[in-house]
Amino acid sequence: MRKRTLKRSLTGFWWFTLAFLYLPLAVVALFSFNASNSAARFTGFSWRWYERLLGNEEILSAFANSMVLAIVSSVIALVVGCLIGYGMYRHRHRKLGWLIVLIYLPIVLPDIVFGISEMAFFVQVHRLTGFLQPGLGTMIIAHVTFQIPFVALIVYSRFVGLDPTLFEAAKDLYATPTKRVIHFMLPTIKPALISAFFLSFTLSVDDFVISFFTAGPESATLPIYIWGAIKKGVSPEINAIATLMIAAVAIVAVISLIFSRRRQA
Amino acid sequence: MALDATTSDAITTDSIPADSITADSIRTESKPMTDTLTLEAADTSSTEMEESTRDASSIEMQGLHKRFGRNTVALDGVDLVIEAGEFFTLLGPSGCGKTTLLRILAGLEEADAGRLAIGGRDVTEVPPHQRSVNTVFQSYALFPHLSVRENLAFGLKMRGMPPEQREARVAKIAEFIQLGDLVERRVDQLSGGQRQRIALARALVNEPDVLLLDEPLSALDAGLRSQLQVELLRVQKRLGMTFVFVTHDQDEAMVMSDRIAVLNGGVIQQVGPPREVYEHPANAFVARFMGHDNLYPISARDGDRLTTPLGVLRGEAVGEGDLLLIRPETLDLLPGEQQGDNRLPATVTERLYRGSHAEYRLEVGETTLQATLNNRGRRLPEVGDRVTVSVAPEDLVTLSE
Amino acid sequence: MSYAGVIPSARSRAMVRESRHLLLTVAPGAIWIIIFLVLPSAYLMGVAFMTNGPYGLPEMPLSLGSFERLAGFGFLGWSPGNLYTLLRSLWQTLVSTGLVVLVAYPIAYYISTCREKWRPIMLLLVVVPSWTNQVIRTFGWMNLLAPGTPLSSLAEGLGLIAPNMGLYPSNFAVTLGLVYNFLPFMVLPLYAAFEKLDTAQVEAAQDLYASPVRAFWHAVFPQTLPGLLAGVVLVAIPAFGMYVIPELLGGGKGMMLGNLVASQFSGGANWPLGAAGAILMLIATFIGLYAMRRIGKRLGGGEEVVI
Repeated sequence: MRKRTLKRSLTGFWWFTLAFLYLPLAVVALFSFNASNSAARFTGFSWRWYERLLGNEEILSAFANSMVLAIVSSVIALVVGCLIGYGMYRHRHRKLGWLIVLIYLPIVLPDIVFGISEMAFFVQVHRLTGFLQPGLGTMIIAHVTFQIPFVALIVYSRFVGLDPTLFEAAKDLYATPTKRVIHFMLPTIKPALISAFFLSFTLSVDDFVISFFTAGPESATLPIYIWGAIKKGVSPEINAIATLMIAAVAIVAVISLIFSRRRQA
Repeated sequence: MALDATTSDAITTDSIPADSITADSIRTESKPMTDTLTLEAADTSSTEMEESTRDASSIEMQGLHKRFGRNTVALDGVDLVIEAGEFFTLLGPSGCGKTTLLRILAGLEEADAGRLAIGGRDVTEVPPHQRSVNTVFQSYALFPHLSVRENLAFGLKMRGMPPEQREARVAKIAEFIQLGDLVERRVDQLSGGQRQRIALARALVNEPDVLLLDEPLSALDAGLRSQLQVELLRVQKRLGMTFVFVTHDQDEAMVMSDRIAVLNGGVIQQVGPPREVYEHPANAFVARFMGHDNLYPISARDGDRLTTPLGVLRGEAVGEGDLLLIRPETLDLLPGEQQGDNRLPATVTERLYRGSHAEYRLEVGETTLQATLNNRGRRLPEVGDRVTVSVAPEDLVTLSE
Repeated sequence: MSYAGVIPSARSRAMVRESRHLLLTVAPGAIWIIIFLVLPSAYLMGVAFMTNGPYGLPEMPLSLGSFERLAGFGFLGWSPGNLYTLLRSLWQTLVSTGLVVLVAYPIAYYISTCREKWRPIMLLLVVVPSWTNQVIRTFGWMNLLAPGTPLSSLAEGLGLIAPNMGLYPSNFAVTLGLVYNFLPFMVLPLYAAFEKLDTAQVEAAQDLYASPVRAFWHAVFPQTLPGLLAGVVLVAIPAFGMYVIPELLGGGKGMMLGNLVASQFSGGANWPLGAAGAILMLIATFIGLYAMRRIGKRLGGGEEVVI
């Protein structure tokens, strides 16, 4: 009897929490269709904010910056992180404590400290040498830095989960070092590489603080643009662009759900 | 039964139960050595590859040393010659160096010192992918990202064989090992025994000079194990390939091998055919490892008369050594007390009835003695019986510690 | 058969080869992190001990001036502003972490009691909002809590806030934003702990006549402690350094340490002061990680707790 009331109240709490989690997103989506530019009252349905987006050069270039940043940084991080992940695995019997500390550093460092150290560093290097002018390049460098550990750890844990004699079997079956990489290692860790790439991509698109401090005047990404617009005074266009980003996440969520379902089956 | 099977001359009848087939018995029924897989697949494979199996390769090891870390000595000077076409077994307890030796043959481990030649060619520093040697791993090591068919074709693909030839070779081997429709499965859909056979096929399809087997049967249950022992033996005899087999199981070693090398502490203790190793162990370690417990120190010698804790026993053409070995199955138990040469009064303290035979623990004076009696329908002595142990002089073996 | 005298040349060659391999695989990433994170952090720490120049850039000589500024000592004598910011950061971290635990614990338990095929979906539902950008999520709360919205009107009606003030900007809004932001970080490790829960222990406790409360306290809670601990670290450390949420929802009186630090690198322009604040944040981070390791070790299996 008591068990049932507990279960029922938990169910209620669950739905309440879900509402709490999705209410802010729902409000953003709702007001993106608002006919008036009031942020408090919904006055009627309209597409006008979306239409305005298409004509907004700044938003389009911010979107392009976001994509370039996410893709380029993820690719670099995938290569570099994959190498570290394999190195950590292959030499796991050595004392690699320093490497572990190094790899966890970007994860544990608070975003703001991460962002301002890079900014201070880039500014000074640029002042002294002329290299590393704040812009998309410095943002890519910063993003790769926080993506590397995630890629390395995902790849490492995939290797650890393998039967170590597989490496020997590949050698034994006449695979040269290059062929071992192409025909054995890469295909075997392919699932890990895919999820590492998607995680890196998501981390990059999700990041605001580090991008904000390493960006230059021309390299605003979508979150930076939205931030600026909010600071200047809310424009309903932000609701529209934010809704599109929420929709993108929702699509990714559904895809990942289907994937996990298929894996179970 | 297991012990009887090793005295192989006894059973060369045609209707042998699968679990008692021995190397000798298969040799009599195996086809001539020329009937190799290569010849069957001759139309599709390159000449170079045919050569490799038709002339099975010998292996020569000279002064191999291997150390792990600072203190662990895995191999301490191994000199060994394995003949072409031999089923050769490296036998020993875990940590004796047998697996290290196998890995050095495969090229997966590099010896710290010493030379290794396969088929007359020095391969000491040749990396594994350039050696015509393949391994059946203990864990099978089938590639999880590939199908069974792709697993089988992996080695050929890495050597750059064109796809059509590859497919033909894979089909041949699948037929030879009788894989049936297993070829179409995914690796994770296979049972242990199936994995074992795929792993064997994946190695054999490359037609290596030497096949290495690292305890390939140890993960299987007893029934499947003896079935696969027979299968492995037949494959080896038909192909005439050099097999180097690693195991810690002396029964398995005796059933399968042409010759056995017993290792301990990184040193070869004895090399010889199963019968020699079992019946004339070179030292106490080999004797104990082969399952012998009846070892007695010889305190005095007078010609062929040996003084032991059991009493004075007369041998026949006994060799050197200060230890006496009496194999339990050579003993006979006579009812009551009977006097005479090589007759020992004893009391039965324990009897293990095994159906085909019975194992006895006897008390002879201050010491104990084990005996095995075949169950031939006569009365088997009971616990507490006073009996007389009869030892034939020619069955006494001496060895040194 | 003595081993002495054998010169293991193959051995040393193999060791050289392995070391080169380690270097080739690990060096690119390690060097990347060293150049683009370790060096900048070291530089930042150095900046904290330098003097503030006319344009906010650090200059010689070395001094502890920025730490004094951080503690509130300025040209006009001592002012409590920075200290308030610091205390507010601690307080917000404490309160929001506590609230997150209170919400996440029953949610994680509830998910673990549901049917197995629903659990991945339920977890996904909890996590998906955190995949959207932090700025957007916070912006959503600005929309919800602004003056004139239903929530603000309700609060006004209940007499909780002054008329036409809205629920944001306020410290309350910051707390709410933090709880919202970090809830999934707590649910995931707690769920993992509940999923591994050894139900035999619970049954044994009930079998031994423990009341439900006692059974929970002695059989369930200790088993979920490692997950709880992991969650606390995942929430408290980033919460303490939070920048976006107080900046958008807090207003001038809701500022936290992260905002103080950031403002020294933009408008306010006093790098040494900002760097001193960053050092404070780093110290807090490492104390948090260290404490967690210590407690985790005492609980056993502490290693797996860290991410």
